[in-house]
Amino acid sequence: MKMILEQYTRLLKVILTFMMLLLIIPVFLQIISRFVPFIPRYIWTEEIARFAFIWIIMLGATIAVREGTHFSVDMLKKYQARTENILKQILLISMLIFAIFFLIGGWQFARTGMLQRSEIAGLPMLAIYISWPLAGLSWIFFLLEHLYDHYSSENQES
Amino acid sequence: MGPLEVTLILVFSFLILVLLKVPVSFALGLATIPVFLFHDRLTITLLFTEMFQAFNSFLLLAVPFFLLAANLMNAAGITDRLINFARAMIGFLPGGLGHVNIVVSMLFAGISGSSTADSAGIGSIMIPAMKKEGFNTGMSVAITACSSVMGVIIPPSVLMIIWGGVMSVSIGGLFLAGVIPGMAIGLSMMATMYWYAKKKGYPRTAFPSFKTFISSLSKAMVPMMTPVIIVGGITGGFFTATEASLVAVFYSIFLGMAVYRTIDGSRFLTVIYESGRFSAIALFAVGTASAFAFLLAFFKVPDAIVSQFSALHLGFAATGLMIAGAFLLIGMFIDAIPAIIILGTVLWPVASLAGFHPIHFAIIGVVSLAFGLVTPPYGLCLLITCALGEIKVSEALKYVGIILIPMLIVLLLIILLPGFVMCLPQLLMPDLA
Repeated sequence: MKMILEQYTRLLKVILTFMMLLLIIPVFLQIISRFVPFIPRYIWTEEIARFAFIWIIMLGATIAVREGTHFSVDMLKKYQARTENILKQILLISMLIFAIFFLIGGWQFARTGMLQRSEIAGLPMLAIYISWPLAGLSWIFFLLEHLYDHYSSENQES
Repeated sequence: MGPLEVTLILVFSFLILVLLKVPVSFALGLATIPVFLFHDRLTITLLFTEMFQAFNSFLLLAVPFFLLAANLMNAAGITDRLINFARAMIGFLPGGLGHVNIVVSMLFAGISGSSTADSAGIGSIMIPAMKKEGFNTGMSVAITACSSVMGVIIPPSVLMIIWGGVMSVSIGGLFLAGVIPGMAIGLSMMATMYWYAKKKGYPRTAFPSFKTFISSLSKAMVPMMTPVIIVGGITGGFFTATEASLVAVFYSIFLGMAVYRTIDGSRFLTVIYESGRFSAIALFAVGTASAFAFLLAFFKVPDAIVSQFSALHLGFAATGLMIAGAFLLIGMFIDAIPAIIILGTVLWPVASLAGFHPIHFAIIGVVSLAFGLVTPPYGLCLLITCALGEIKVSEALKYVGIILIPMLIVLLLIILLPGFVMCLPQLLMPDLA
């Protein structure tokens, strides 16, 4: 299972890098078209860039859950190991609750995109909206992995 | 549910979640869920619609691009060139390397739009160098962290782009308005450093020869053109903020891959991925913060605050101080980007009522939030530099305090003297309202 999640994260990283490169091209074309007369002014470039950008945010937010790199604040003092363990469980479970809402609510949201097409390029909006439930689903897997790791390390200690 | 109940639900659930170390962006989203679920005129899909609308902005694209440009410049070794130039320019003062650190941050701030790129890039070189020359580690860490706050005040600035996008303020105007306050903050830090070095009796080094000065200047000249291209390009109307950020990316690719040849293909892809990942984490909070701010607006919380404040009859100065205080306080606990989206929109009606120009208000907000980057518990730049200096945050705190006092005096000047902020934009962009 760990192997699969590891490979899945790597895949997400590759897509994120690809999307970043994809982001550069349309904006570049947009600048060029203003100064070079024979290049047509593509208006869909702006839309493609925005959509690639949304995917980058959702993919990055997904990877950051697995790597634990979302910004968080460390305000409470260190408690005993037992209390710290319980706090960590509450933390992971509250994130899991958010992930479940992202999956279910995000799916409802994505379904509204089935009938819509984007204003300029005519892309199905589902292709963008689906990134929300997909992020929720991936978070669920990653958070379950964190919970599993947490319990197994706790058992080893005791 | 009235404005008071909704505010209480949102703020308290957010605070409890943050205390439990739930990431700020998740805590903002989770706090909105009960309100979206249990109010009969709202549904959960609105959370996602709000997030989509926040992300679906061409302007925000400038954030990953400016970050990418800064990371590429770091990877290309431009920081070394800037350090050599700063050393030749100012290294002869008492506490030489401390001043070099500040000036490099100032120069780098003109290239990058984010403070974290500054503190990571400059800190990894300057902190070991300062330690080697006998500087106190706490002071080295503190000066690196504090000087990197100029990154978001001196243009280009990721925070100003987000501010301009959320509140519909001219980005060119904000960029110009940040120049003088940013430099004033740098000078205040140099004054502190001078006093500290005199007190500690740090030795001074000889003046550099004219030849070294010219050669280091010529090596640093090309990267130092970046702010001129960006700010000139935007205010001159040649390109938008997003396009300017991409121009900065191409300029740094050109420097790193063609001129200095310090970046190869695989390094390039790593930098691209890292910039994308980091901006995604920062911008994900824009989405959940927008949903949070949407609920505050839906229940007319800003209106309620304005009516409370207008009853107090605060003057211009008192309102300004109150605004700065609110931003300083929230900046201690959460990231600057969600703070702008939530507090900026809530406080603007109050500021407008007291006669603040949108740009003046924005600069007060950005500078106050920038100070939050070096204050615990959530001071990203301080955390980064402490990790680089291998000390605990508490060991650097005393020095951060010493450096912050003159910086707060500069903030006071920014609040009380609108001309200090507004003169450059009004001079160079006369059609600005």
